Amino acid sequence: MVKVVRSTILEEPVDAVWEVLRDFNGHDTWHPAIATSQIERGESSDRVGCVRRFKLNDGAELREQLLTLSDAETAYSYCLLDTPVPLFNYVSHVRLLPVTDGDHTFWQWESRFDTPRGREKELAELVGESIYGDGFTAIRNHFQERAVA
Amino acid sequence: MARVFVSSVINAPAAKVWERVRDFNGLPNWHPRIRDSRIEDALPSDKIGCIRNFNLQNGDNIREQLLGMSDYDLFCSYAILESPMPLTDYVATLRLTPITDGERCFAEWSAEFECSPDDESDLVSGIGTNVFQGGFDALKRHFGG
Repeated sequence: MVKVVRSTILEEPVDAVWEVLRDFNGHDTWHPAIATSQIERGESSDRVGCVRRFKLNDGAELREQLLTLSDAETAYSYCLLDTPVPLFNYVSHVRLLPVTDGDHTFWQWESRFDTPRGREKELAELVGESIYGDGFTAIRNHFQERAVA
Repeated sequence: MARVFVSSVINAPAAKVWERVRDFNGLPNWHPRIRDSRIEDALPSDKIGCIRNFNLQNGDNIREQLLGMSDYDLFCSYAILESPMPLTDYVATLRLTPITDGERCFAEWSAEFECSPDDESDLVSGIGTNVFQGGFDALKRHFGG
C-alpha cells in the first residue's frame, strides 16, 4: 500500500478555505485538472455517500464517493470508485486546521492506495504533485485572484 | 469543559523541533517560563506515566504526568496532577506535523479542563498566551522565525 501526504500553509483564515473546499462538487471551479463535475442522482454535495462524477481535461472520467464530512473538524474523506488510472482501494483525507498565531490555515491532503507492481513511485508522484500539489497552488491563486478582484 | 487551542508555524523540520521538545523533563531548556524540572522517582522522562515536577519563574510548582508520547506521530499528552490554578481534569497535547512544501512544521498545543465558569476566560487566555503561545514564540526565536 502506498501512502501519500502533502501539506501546506495558506495565508487565509480557515473558514474562508473551508468554504471553498467543503463543496464536494466544487473542485471543477478551482482544480486545474478538473474540467467538469456533477453529483449523481441530483443529491446535495454535502450528503455523506454522494458520488461525484467528473471529467479531467484530457476527457478521462472518474467517480468518487464522499465518505465523511465534518464542519466541526473542517475535514472530509472520499474514495475512488471508477478511474482509468490504476489506483486501487484509494481513500483520501483532507483536513484543515487553523494557525491561530497569524489566522492562517494548515492544509493536509493524504491518501493510501494500491497500484500495479512496479508503478508505486510513479503513481505516488502523480497523486502528490499533479493532484495535491497543483491543488494547493490553485487554491492559493484562487484567493489571490479574489483579492485582486 | 473549557478548551484551549493554539497553533503556529515553526521554521524548521518537524524532526528538529521534536528533538527540542520531546524530553518531558526538558521544559527549562526551551520554555522561558519554566525555571527547573525533575522527574519523580528517577524514572526516564519518556516512560509513560512518569511525573515531571517543575517550578515556574514565579515560583509556582506544578506536577504533570506523561500520558502518551509518539516518536512516529510527534505528539505528547500529559495531565496536571497538582497546580496552583483553579482547574481539574486538565489534559493537554503538544503535536508537530510536517509541512511538506518547505522546511517547516505546524505545531499545535491544546488542552481541555474543568473549572468554575467565573475562572474560565482567565484560565483559557492565560494558558493559551503564557504557556502555549509563549512556548511557540520561544521555539520560533530559536529556529529563526
